[in-house]
Amino acid sequence: MPIIEVNHVTKEYQLGHITSLKENVANSYRRLMGKPIHRREDFKALDDVSFSIEQGEVVGIIGHNGAGKSTLLKHLANISKPTKGSVIVRGSVAPLIEVGAGVNPELTGRENIFLNGAILGIPKKIIQQKLDEIIEFSELEQFIDTPVKRYSSGMTVKLGFSIATSLDADILIVDEVLAVGDLAFQRKCFDRMEDMIKRQGKTVLLVSHNIRQIQRLCNRVILLDHGRINMEGEPQAVCDSFYEQSDRKIRANIDHTKTHTIASGEVELVELYFLDHAKRKVDSLSYNENCSIHFKINVLEELEDVTFGFGFHTTDFLYLTTHNSEEQLNINRLPAGDHELVCKVNRLPLLPGIYLVRFGITSGKAAAGVFYGESLAHFQVIGDIPITVRDGFFALEANWMQIGV
Amino acid sequence: MVKNLYNYRELIAALVWKNIVIRYKQSYLGILWAVLKPIMLMLIFTLVRSFVGIDTGNIPYPILTFAALLPWVFFQESASEGVNSVTSNAALIKKIYFPREVFPITAMVTKIVELAISFGILGAMMIYYKMMPTVYSLWIPIVVFYTMMVTLGISFFGAAINVYYRDMSQALPVVLSLLMYGSPVMYPLSLVHQKLIVEQAAGHWSNNLYTLYTLNPLAGIIDSFQRVMLKGLAPDFEALYPGVVLTLVILPFSYVFFKRAENWFADVI
Repeated sequence: MPIIEVNHVTKEYQLGHITSLKENVANSYRRLMGKPIHRREDFKALDDVSFSIEQGEVVGIIGHNGAGKSTLLKHLANISKPTKGSVIVRGSVAPLIEVGAGVNPELTGRENIFLNGAILGIPKKIIQQKLDEIIEFSELEQFIDTPVKRYSSGMTVKLGFSIATSLDADILIVDEVLAVGDLAFQRKCFDRMEDMIKRQGKTVLLVSHNIRQIQRLCNRVILLDHGRINMEGEPQAVCDSFYEQSDRKIRANIDHTKTHTIASGEVELVELYFLDHAKRKVDSLSYNENCSIHFKINVLEELEDVTFGFGFHTTDFLYLTTHNSEEQLNINRLPAGDHELVCKVNRLPLLPGIYLVRFGITSGKAAAGVFYGESLAHFQVIGDIPITVRDGFFALEANWMQIGV
Repeated sequence: MVKNLYNYRELIAALVWKNIVIRYKQSYLGILWAVLKPIMLMLIFTLVRSFVGIDTGNIPYPILTFAALLPWVFFQESASEGVNSVTSNAALIKKIYFPREVFPITAMVTKIVELAISFGILGAMMIYYKMMPTVYSLWIPIVVFYTMMVTLGISFFGAAINVYYRDMSQALPVVLSLLMYGSPVMYPLSLVHQKLIVEQAAGHWSNNLYTLYTLNPLAGIIDSFQRVMLKGLAPDFEALYPGVVLTLVILPFSYVFFKRAENWFADVI
């Protein structure tokens, strides 16, 4: 028998403000008189969602903002009730939905452990037994008798997570909580989650925007889109499909985002385009193929000792690589007028995805910046990649071998 | 409901403890503030009484009115806290499930602690006035329990309404302060009885009016409090029963209403 059953669940919310008593009375009057009433628009946060989860499964739920992930979890945690359909949960649920919801700023850390434990339904005896463990995990030994209002926000979340994960329930519902604290603590949280999943055999529902995490932890992934189940199955397949969707969405958005440019007025960037290995103008490049990037500039005032540089970055401005023209291109004097520069890339090592280009020009002995811009153009990398380079941004040229055979 | 209560006793205990700790944590006088209200009211009423003259029989007025204020303040505060208890815990309601009646009940139990402290003061006053408690004071737990039921009847209904229309939390204090004058707090019930039943002051309406007056459960509660604590008498059932009947009708209705509305708290709050 499945431990969680979700049968044709639909959840509607009314948009806009809650109707006032006055409006309700007015509506009742209109209904009595047989006139049309003022109805607010409905919004379907979940639309006929059905699935079931067996004991011990680890299921990830992914989707864009507003796809209905958190609403779904709220139904599983019995916080909301569906408009239509039913949710059957056979077992105790530990909702790690925004940990620290019950943390009270006036109480000390220790007091909060007991209060939160009670809120989560952990018997006092168990809390007392686990008290040292919880405090140790939270790394707050020194501050445990200080009111939480004097804590930093990171410390508060650490405390919340430590309490919540000490709860011994059949089903864990986790909503983005792994993104807490500093890197070391995140690591610890992740390990604890993994321990609960792999060794204690708990049933886990995980919502995260960190698709890599989902891929690593789950045996099954559900992709929600506008309140419907878009896809369900193998983590690999579903996550890939989600990546594709996201890329399309990013592409659609990039055209509307402004580029960030700082220019001294001596140079203008006229055009930036990509040529593939067959010298065709394209905006998607193939992985592991040669290509070139062309920059057309208009120099308004003559420049001396010019260096060019360009780089790739992700949509969230992670600089992946840069390459500048020093020692490859010596330009002592660049007269006013139109110029074109090319940078040839051999066997593009970027893995499929969306990337953006930044470009800069410096001039003079002191290499003063005369032009710098980010997100100047975007391109998609397509193509099949070998199984050895699954995750990340780059393919590494490397080989495995066993020594001594 | 009783089963639920038992299952969630630790939660209620923890929340009550939290309420008390938080309220008085940074204050010098601490929980003594809780008893300030009945004491102040008692002093004011005693002052007023020195002008208007209210017949209290052989019992000193200050202690009589303090004994009335004990259940009244408990009722008033736990009803208003109860009505606000769901909305003021919005963060919890949106994140974690447990039966929502825990909130109004917690608000009430918190006030029980304050009531207990007030009882200490009443005891001190009884020593001062050289009054001995009688065996009838064993009625107190029952009277307090009845007061709790009356409070919950209002809290459940009011708290659920308040989630949808915050008008409730605005209206309730007004209604309650009016109700105080309609309850035998400043004056003893015996005066009302004297006027309506003995003197028939309102003509042939008098008996009905008295029933209407005692339909307010607080009339019976306050009178019983004074009788069993100060007068050494059993409660006056004639004054109690209209209120008891009303409470027995309202409480189940109020609870069912609350449980129905509970399903949408997280969406609306």
